[in-house]
Amino acid sequence: MRGYLDTLKVIVQIALRNLFASRLKTLIVGGIILFGSLLVVVGTALVDSVDASMSRSVIGSVAGHIQVYSAKSKDELTVMGGMNMESPDLTPIDDFAALRRTLLSVPNVNAVVPMGLSAAMVTAGNTVDVVLERLRDLARRKLAGEDVQAAYESEKDHVRQIVTVLSADMDNVRKIQNEKAISQEDVDAVAKAASAELWAGFDSDPYPALEFLENRIAPLASDADMLFLRYLGTDVDAFAKSFDRMRIVDGQPIPRGQRGFLFAKWVYEQQVKLKTALRLDRINDGISKRSKTIARSEELQRWIKQNTTEVKEIMLQLDGQKTASFRRLLQGELGSQENDVAKLLAEFFRVDDANFARRYHFFYDRLAPQLELYRVRVGDMLTIKSFTRTGYVQSVKLRVYGTFVFQGLEESHIAGELNLMDMVSFRELYGSLTPERAREVQEIKAMAGMKEVSREQAEAELFGKQDLGGAASVGSAQRPVDEAETALRSLAGRQQRVDRASQPYDPAQLEQGDVLNAAVIVRDPGRISQTIKDIEAAGAKAGIPLHAITWQKASGLVGQFVTMIRAVLYISVLIIFAVALVIINNALVMATLERMPEIGTLRAVGAQRRFLLSMLLVEALAVGVLFGSLGALLGAGIVGVIHAVGIPAANDILYFLFSGPRLHPSLSPANVIISLSIVLAVSAISSIYPGLLAMRVSPRQAMQSDD
Amino acid sequence: MNHIVSVSNVSKNYNLGQVVVPALRGVSLDVAEGEFLAIAGPSGSGKTTLLNLVGCVDTPSSGTVTVDGKQTGLLGERELTRLRLHTIGFIFQSFNLVSVLSVLQNVELPLLLQRASTARERQRRVLELLDRVGIREYSKHRPSELSGGQRQRVAIARALVTRPKLVLADEPTANLDSVTGTNILNLMKELNQSEKTTFIFSTHDARVWAYASAVVRLADGQVQDRVSAEEAVRAGGLPVGRPA
Ligand SMILES: Nc1ncnc2c1ncn2[C@@H]1O[C@H](COP(=O)(O)OP(=O)(O)OP(=O)(O)O)[C@@H](O)[C@H]1O
Ligand SMILES: [Mg+2]
Repeated sequence: MRGYLDTLKVIVQIALRNLFASRLKTLIVGGIILFGSLLVVVGTALVDSVDASMSRSVIGSVAGHIQVYSAKSKDELTVMGGMNMESPDLTPIDDFAALRRTLLSVPNVNAVVPMGLSAAMVTAGNTVDVVLERLRDLARRKLAGEDVQAAYESEKDHVRQIVTVLSADMDNVRKIQNEKAISQEDVDAVAKAASAELWAGFDSDPYPALEFLENRIAPLASDADMLFLRYLGTDVDAFAKSFDRMRIVDGQPIPRGQRGFLFAKWVYEQQVKLKTALRLDRINDGISKRSKTIARSEELQRWIKQNTTEVKEIMLQLDGQKTASFRRLLQGELGSQENDVAKLLAEFFRVDDANFARRYHFFYDRLAPQLELYRVRVGDMLTIKSFTRTGYVQSVKLRVYGTFVFQGLEESHIAGELNLMDMVSFRELYGSLTPERAREVQEIKAMAGMKEVSREQAEAELFGKQDLGGAASVGSAQRPVDEAETALRSLAGRQQRVDRASQPYDPAQLEQGDVLNAAVIVRDPGRISQTIKDIEAAGAKAGIPLHAITWQKASGLVGQFVTMIRAVLYISVLIIFAVALVIINNALVMATLERMPEIGTLRAVGAQRRFLLSMLLVEALAVGVLFGSLGALLGAGIVGVIHAVGIPAANDILYFLFSGPRLHPSLSPANVIISLSIVLAVSAISSIYPGLLAMRVSPRQAMQSDD
Repeated sequence: MNHIVSVSNVSKNYNLGQVVVPALRGVSLDVAEGEFLAIAGPSGSGKTTLLNLVGCVDTPSSGTVTVDGKQTGLLGERELTRLRLHTIGFIFQSFNLVSVLSVLQNVELPLLLQRASTARERQRRVLELLDRVGIREYSKHRPSELSGGQRQRVAIARALVTRPKLVLADEPTANLDSVTGTNILNLMKELNQSEKTTFIFSTHDARVWAYASAVVRLADGQVQDRVSAEEAVRAGGLPVGRPA
């Protein structure tokens, strides 16, 4: 034993001294190894951290650990990050209660949340509509004898103001573009709305004028009244419990048993907020969070330009009183004599780096309190129209209870684009057979004397064949409207069938109806793949053929993102170490050739081949261990620094991947172990060929070295 | 008498591409234990080739070589290496020291390879030998810091450190000035007497033969004759009639 150790000592000694004797070569080889192991440590630590944080994001926002849907579905399920607007075509699972029972029979399943994903164009909060509705209401009350004269006059004034703004806007557009940019019909309509005749008889009989204004004038102001909303129908209570990062920002959660809608805060800000205010926020973010300057950022300049040209959005909101107030405030702030509020606003929004902060505060402190910052306010009714599975338009009116975020993911649109609605309303929009609907079908059956009505037939009966453009059918109180026109018409709720918004539902309905998919929260996330198998087996046994997929798969491209980065990392590591292998190998071969006489001498003196092999191996490993450890150490240091400082999430995709505003990667022993293993393997492999060379050296070569 | 080396009818051909170069042609030679044998001959006569065959670093094309009772042609690579380690000591013409090791470590190397002795035993043996060859004070030096004669002494010490039965020295004085050469030869002779180590050395230096117990004269790969040192010297340094 001691003999071996002593021999090893000599081997190490010779090896180390050889390394020292050829310092330059050692340093070059060592440098490559150092860089390689550093890259592996830092790279794997970063990717692992992103993986962990992203999985937190995905699992904690909508996906859960596992998503389950019917195996009969045409499409594969993705719950987020889908590139297209269309939701996947899934076959509903009819009985959620049975599904839940089946899933809970798998030991690792902790909770099941019913889900359905869909999207709809939603008409919401056209300023003119809102004003006209108020005016209509006031006119009605005034005629009924209530004392609302002052408010009535003010609102009437506001409408006339709106007409003036629209008229000026049209003139503008015609001047900038061309005469034909706006149809003559619209020009005439605005002219009529501004005419004295229309308003002369308004006080005595307002309804024809209101009808005209609603139908012809309101659509002209519809610059941004269509919202595209993706929504998730779910058991909101169960959802909040299972996804505990969910937090209500404004308003309140949807009360149990109530229909309702919760805006994702991100959507609420990006789509519902006054565009001017949103752009001011973005400019503010750009300056304060991303250290941009107006002078140098074209993006910020573009937003400023838009704010100065699109003051109409604000102008429409101003009645006579507010106009006066704005004029006074802006004249004071700008030190201007200008009387035209539109021009004052444009001037006000023409900000630069010096005055931005002041104007930003002025806007929110002084101007905003007089404006509706959000087109849809918490407490408002939202009318959602959606195509059912069989292609009919169905509409549901829901109260907006509030807005929510997923904690830590506030600024990610990937996590923030899904709004929430109660499962019962979702089923209605989706075209499922809810109990109310079933009752109606029953009535139709009775009326038609039919025995059986299929789901499709029932829907056809219920919603009317709208594509025929005429024949309204049973149960529908709405006017027949052409679909294209439907989209243009903007008065919310005008085509409402039945207002169920205030009708509560029996919470038991959540359980009984159908669902499209369900999120499964497991107890032990380490056993997801086994649990997936168990779930599919349980589904098959219960007669509910299921597909169960991991959160990675359910999150589509987003989930595969980390896999992609990992692949890129591994490939670059592979390339670096392949290069390292070649270089180390060459260096060792050269060293071996140079040392032929010495090797021959050792052989002649009585060293066995394995002695030489060990010697070369030790040389390679020594370089590997020394520089590999140095690299790993340096890498650990770098990870430590990054951990302390954090990598800022420069955009919302990174925000999602980092599960927050900054990534604080941490080092795990695995990162170092992997790095050192690779380095050692590469070192060992690279000494094979020189080793073989050395073994072939015959001792005679040493004795002839004088030749 | 016991023969430590027995070479019997050995031929050695080198293949240089298509040409076959006969380096040895039917050489037979017996060496008794304790001899101090010189192999003489002009350049190219086959001295080194013969030493290589005896030293187990090469194998004959035909004929047999027996070293310490073992026929080398029948031994495998590992056993040959073991034979070199335990039975034979080499003194190379160009010293062949391991440049990255100190004098002491160079000399210690064969002992380490033998794995038979403790560190203390090795230390004592190495220092004793360095003393003997007169370079103890240089034990910490690197070979590159020594003169040619000093390096040759290190090489001798390394060859003798394992107390081999047989020491092979290929032109041990060729790279040395005459004074140093004489010193080295005296040292080898002394060790030959005191340790009873068998020495075989090649040389074409006539002054060296005086030290030998016998001189084997080679010419064109064949043994010319085997004569006593006196005879060889008397022949006037040109034992085989061709000027070196
Ligand atoms: N590796 C080899 N390949 C081919 N021929 C060789 C080789 N080694 C030796 N020879 C040839 O064998 C013959 C004997 O060579 P050897 O080295 O034994 O002579 P030598 O007596 O030692 O000469 P010197 O006194 O110059 O050292 C020479 O003709 C030489 O050219
Ligand atoms: Mg020679």
